[in-house]
Amino acid sequence: MLDPAHGGTDPGARGTGGIRESEIVLDFAVQVRRTLELQGFQVVQTRQGNENPSFDDRSATTNAQRGAVFVTLHISSTGLPGTARVYVNSDLPPVANAGGLIPWDRAQAPFLGLSKAFGDLVQGFLAQRFKGSPDTAQSASVRQLRTTAAPAIAVEVSSVTVEDRADLDRMAPGVADAIARGTAAFKPSYVVPSAPGALP
Amino acid sequence: MTPSWKYWLIGGLVVAVLAAAIYFPILRRRVKRAAKLQQQSEEQARRELTQPIPINPSDPRVKAKVFWVSDAIDSTLAPVTVELPLSNDPVLRSKQVLNTLLAGPVDAELRTLPPDASLLAFYLLPDGTAIADFSEALATSIPSGIVSEQLAVNSITRTLEANVPQVQRLKILIHGQEVETLAGHLDLAGTFVVNTKVAQEPAKPTPTPSGTDQPAAAAQTPAAGPGTLTATRTLGKLGQSESRP
Repeated sequence: MLDPAHGGTDPGARGTGGIRESEIVLDFAVQVRRTLELQGFQVVQTRQGNENPSFDDRSATTNAQRGAVFVTLHISSTGLPGTARVYVNSDLPPVANAGGLIPWDRAQAPFLGLSKAFGDLVQGFLAQRFKGSPDTAQSASVRQLRTTAAPAIAVEVSSVTVEDRADLDRMAPGVADAIARGTAAFKPSYVVPSAPGALP
Repeated sequence: MTPSWKYWLIGGLVVAVLAAAIYFPILRRRVKRAAKLQQQSEEQARRELTQPIPINPSDPRVKAKVFWVSDAIDSTLAPVTVELPLSNDPVLRSKQVLNTLLAGPVDAELRTLPPDASLLAFYLLPDGTAIADFSEALATSIPSGIVSEQLAVNSITRTLEANVPQVQRLKILIHGQEVETLAGHLDLAGTFVVNTKVAQEPAKPTPTPSGTDQPAAAAQTPAAGPGTLTATRTLGKLGQSESRP
């Protein structure tokens, strides 16, 4: 699942040069999608154009897929330009026996370990490509990740403050390659966790 | 048209141009003054709304730790020691340290919260859950992005953790309302763990995700005892998620 963040009336981060996060991430998504499909992955996007599905709509699209991984794409307003960071959701309260169902508001809880493993892999490849990027994924309370029932990461590229949009465009192939390589490396270890209370 | 009418017309036009030349600068000054007055009244209204925290000179001067950005590029937090007269009352004390955080460091580039943001109200529930209500500027003026929004919340929780031990968890409101995110990214639906040690006690520790600038934390929701006042019960959705920023 690829999620170009924001869209529609929500432009996301805006740079002084008129750069809008919602537009850039859509272009990034095209490149990431192409690279993943070349490696044989099936890719679904949460938005194709300039629309703005809600957080829950995006999660609903993702949660309907079995065996999916989720990547939400962002461009920051701050940070060292030319770097990229991967975030996984902060710890969530454990899901108690819910009769085989995962509570929607913390659907990410059973997947946190997998998200961390996936995030570290993608971040490792990003660090090789973009100097100054961290070596491992970091944790943050990212709203979009909390309701996603899949290994889920946010990739945030710095930043909309670049003077020329081409500086960001040049990062797209590297970001796409890192996500594709990370996904391929993660695939063998991905076993879909059963829901708490679910029958074996 | 006779020549005399022409002279009258030209004369009239000259007078009109002269009058406009004299009146235009006066009009411009008036417009500027009105704009300034409006700006001052908005600022005044904001100050009245936020009600400055009275500083009691008899309060002991304490070395408070306030967390601002250590480096504008690196995006990590570092404590700065500020000597302040701080109240022993946890609510007043929280307001005092948060207002210091909002005032910002000497180097404006190292601030974590927007300069026009203000703390509107602060409450502390008996179970240690604090509710901080910030003005809308916190959400509208902060640079949008995961890293900047997370730094803002981290600076608030870590400043409270360092100075007000009674605060265990924090719920952030914007202008009295629950909001989904701070500025499009950071989840404000639940509460943030402030006092790591206390929050960990009732629950089994869990592996900590890697973080950049925060101490390791396992954000487990403390079990609510029967009949106790908890965030979950008092604030509806608050207990749905709790996270360590």
